[in-house]
Amino acid sequence: MSHSSSHQPTEFFSVVNAAADEETAVAAAVERAAEMVEAEVAAVVLADQVRGAWGFGTEVPSAGLLRADKRLGVPALGALHTCYTALGEDKKHGALMVGRLSAEFSPEERHMLQGMAQVLGLALRGIRVLSDERNLRADSERVAQVAQTKQMLVETLLRIQRTISNRRPLPEILDAVTSGAAALLGADSVALMLAEEGRARRLTVASTAGTPEASTHDGDAREAMAGGQVVIRALARDAVIAAPVQVTGEMTGSLVARLPGPVERHAEHREQLAAFAQQVSVALTDARTAEAAHEAHHDPVTGLPNRGLFLKIFNRVLASRDVATDPTSVLFVDLDRFKAVNDSLGHEAGDQLLAAVAGRIRGCVRASDTTARLGGDEFAVLLHDSPMDAATGVAERIVQAVKDPFRLAGRDIFIGASVGVAISRETAEHSDVLLNNADVAMYRAKKEGPGKVIVYEPYMHTEALNYLSLRGDLQKALDAGEFALQYQPLIRLATGEVTGVEALIRWHSPGRGLVSPVDFIPIAEESGLIVEIGQWVLETAAAQVATWRRTFPDLTLNVNVSGLQLVNPRFADDVMRALALAGLPSSAVTLELTESVLMSEPDLARSSLAALRTLGVQLSIDDFGTGYSSLAYLRELPVDELKIDRAFIARAELTAEDLALVRTIVQLGQILGLRVVAEGIENAAQLEALRSLSCACGQGYHLCRPADAADLPPFLERASLRHPNASLMA
Amino acid sequence: MQTPHRWFGAGHSIAADSAKAGAEAAASAVGGRTPAVVFVFASHQHDLPALLMAVRDEAGPNALVVGASTLGELAYDGASAGGVSVAALGGEGFTVRAKVAHIGDAGHRRAGAEAAEAMAGVTSPHSVLILLADGLSGDPHEVVRGAYSVLGAVVPLVGGFAGGGSDKSRTFQFIGDTVYTDAVVGVALGSDAPIGIGVAHGWHRVEPPMIITSSRGGRIFELDDEPALDVLLRRNDLAGQRAADLFHGVDALQALGLSRRNGEDIRVIHDGDDVDRSILGMSDVPQGALCWLMEADHDALIRGATDSCREALDGLGGKVPLGVLAFDCGARRGRLGPDGMQEEMAAMRSALGSTPYAGFYTAGEIARVRGALGTHHLTLVTLALA
Repeated sequence: MSHSSSHQPTEFFSVVNAAADEETAVAAAVERAAEMVEAEVAAVVLADQVRGAWGFGTEVPSAGLLRADKRLGVPALGALHTCYTALGEDKKHGALMVGRLSAEFSPEERHMLQGMAQVLGLALRGIRVLSDERNLRADSERVAQVAQTKQMLVETLLRIQRTISNRRPLPEILDAVTSGAAALLGADSVALMLAEEGRARRLTVASTAGTPEASTHDGDAREAMAGGQVVIRALARDAVIAAPVQVTGEMTGSLVARLPGPVERHAEHREQLAAFAQQVSVALTDARTAEAAHEAHHDPVTGLPNRGLFLKIFNRVLASRDVATDPTSVLFVDLDRFKAVNDSLGHEAGDQLLAAVAGRIRGCVRASDTTARLGGDEFAVLLHDSPMDAATGVAERIVQAVKDPFRLAGRDIFIGASVGVAISRETAEHSDVLLNNADVAMYRAKKEGPGKVIVYEPYMHTEALNYLSLRGDLQKALDAGEFALQYQPLIRLATGEVTGVEALIRWHSPGRGLVSPVDFIPIAEESGLIVEIGQWVLETAAAQVATWRRTFPDLTLNVNVSGLQLVNPRFADDVMRALALAGLPSSAVTLELTESVLMSEPDLARSSLAALRTLGVQLSIDDFGTGYSSLAYLRELPVDELKIDRAFIARAELTAEDLALVRTIVQLGQILGLRVVAEGIENAAQLEALRSLSCACGQGYHLCRPADAADLPPFLERASLRHPNASLMA
Repeated sequence: MQTPHRWFGAGHSIAADSAKAGAEAAASAVGGRTPAVVFVFASHQHDLPALLMAVRDEAGPNALVVGASTLGELAYDGASAGGVSVAALGGEGFTVRAKVAHIGDAGHRRAGAEAAEAMAGVTSPHSVLILLADGLSGDPHEVVRGAYSVLGAVVPLVGGFAGGGSDKSRTFQFIGDTVYTDAVVGVALGSDAPIGIGVAHGWHRVEPPMIITSSRGGRIFELDDEPALDVLLRRNDLAGQRAADLFHGVDALQALGLSRRNGEDIRVIHDGDDVDRSILGMSDVPQGALCWLMEADHDALIRGATDSCREALDGLGGKVPLGVLAFDCGARRGRLGPDGMQEEMAAMRSALGSTPYAGFYTAGEIARVRGALGTHHLTLVTLALA
């Protein structure tokens, strides 16, 4: 598509109107018209004569031009595509013709040529009137008056052209047209009426100048649109002229002028009003072109500026502000749980949700602030003149606004937002650095839990660097053999015997010492390393438990599985391969999954789990009670075990409420036929309470701490002797 | 490659002595044959009358000798700066006429029209007008408009604007044994065989587009309502620095592309003003136009050379090429650097095979094949003869 249309007529306009005689005006017109549409030839046909033939060389095909041939044969060139445009209301006033070898003229080009022909027609008539007056030796005052009118018309139209060329806001351009026309025509009023979208095509007034009128001359406007030409009508004491406005061939409205005095006085105003209407056409066409350019810089889903445009605007703001008085803040907004919605409800619903989120974010900021979608589920907000307090206030409002449920596909959807805030403190700061700072703060906010707002501090950058270096070390750790496993027994509470062990990963980094899984597992998940690490854990633990089972044949193994492993299409195969290598039966293995994993990838999880279940592997829901605790998935998924999260058992003495909750879960397990394991049993009172609630199994420091593989067999020996309170390290 | 009746030869010399350079290059191009026309593209640093006299000795008394001063020379054995590159052609089926027009007060347009009169009497089935012009003053595009006003779309136009010294005060055009300045030389070349023309540059747009919100002539004051120099500095990661840091040396030139139906019309921006924050280009930039910063990596520029040569050869309708005249932008040379220039020559050799070629680095290229516009920047224009 061409973006070049609007600036070119200005040049055309200036050159053609600067001409003092017909010949110069025609010569300038044909030359510029041909160049603008990249045509080879151009000419003007005036009073059955070919004038200013351009680009034909020595042989001008006059007959073909006078006939207005659609395919014009030119010696030594071939047959050209042509476009003839009337210089006035119809072709009897003459026509501007352009011809091109390569392709037909597009509607946009024809439209631009129409504007140029109109301008040329007006210029030629002005020149002619002036020369007639001179020839009649009319009094110099009359000549001066005619010259002045022509000059005024040219200047007014040129002024409008400049507002279009400089891409001033559309309302400003339209006002320039109506007020310019009113002044030049001496009209009581001029109104621009544009048809609305839709079947009714209702006319609305887009701009007016002069005295506001009770009636808007709807009928005249429609008549001009229907006929595609200027209409003039006598009223009791004055006259109405309406000139049609079109955009690329489609009638879109009318410019209507009410002029004082009888109709006869206004014959020459018909053409002039048509010229103003043409300017409206050019402005509207250009606005559509600008809209197309707009699309390249905006996100189609939300209509918000995209990342590129956001940074551009941000840079402009940074360059122009006064740092001391205008602190600029940027918010980096990341949605929580968006992926789950997108995956479960589909991309279309995801897009609808993003659009709705965009609307809510915009509702939290001022009209002068800039909201953008950076990509995925990330948004950014640029707040002008906003010190830290104001910025965090806006961020909190955004978190609140996004927390409220969204109604999508007939159901309520709950998501959240985490926001990082960065404030510019120096002039020299770059937009991308500030945006990156806000990103770092957002990452921190995400880490601290959903729905948090965190303001960037320089130390976070160090933290972010640490994170990167941790990730780098983690990547090497597996090959370097820095991981090790510990095992924590699962105890049958009624008898104290060991039913199985849970494998727990430990990372002994040479540079960092012992790194907690809490710190490195999220990073392993983000980087995808978890798949490899998880497989290593499974293979190592399976081999170990297979060895122990020679002495303790009923011992089972619990292994934690990440969501990323679960959605890996090879997961079921990898599990079975690890078990086969170790010689461990699948019935001795329970995979532990957290609720969030099951909820974020329900479909993939279901098919992967179903495959494993068929092969005999058991499944456990880890941290039960902390997340959704949906009964639906307990029924639908092939679950064998529930692990009550340590949070419910953490208090030294369990309250009545804690007990009630735990009892509910235990009973739920019993009803559904699931094994229930209580995590985090740290003292005798807790153990007793759980026993009394008939909780089948338990884990915790009070029963047995996680131990290295070499240290565990003695405990297994003792526990197999059924000591009710067997404890290795308590 | 050549029939006994038609031939094209090329020669190149980097000898310091002007007479020697002219003789060497011409001897190799002419090779003892009788040329119809000899094209001489020589550095302004040479003693041009002495160089032309030496060329004449090789070309013989009846050959038409034409040419222009350069910003560097293109030749089959490599590109040079400060040398001379010569092409000669002759034999049956070629018609050559030439005309020189002084620009002076009459202006570029009038001179372009006069130079185009060289085409009078050329009735060959295929023809082209080669323009070698001074483009230092006025609007160089007017040279093309002037020639087009005489010839129309029937005759394609190619050529280049001559290069001058570092003071950019004068360029030279040659015809016969005379050295002109401020002139346009038109060389009408008629041929029995098809003529192919290639035009390619290898630049691409960098999004987003910007609107030229304020400009006058070749000077741009504002892009997107922001001082134009600041925009360019920022987009080159030089925010806060001076214009001189941005426009340091020819390799740092900036290119703006204006939207056209068939791609971009590229304008070279070569200077900036630290006081009024404007930037300056070589030709008019219309206010209100949508423009893009243009970018070209090394490989894309080299690919441009290949594309231009291939397009020119494609225009020969399957005929075996005799030789190629090339008009390459001086700013491309600057961007490519000394090694890149030789790489460009290698790309041309590989696209053209054993077809000889000669040409020069110009201060603006001319190629009008379609439409009525014909001036280019940062482009390689090639003319292939069969």
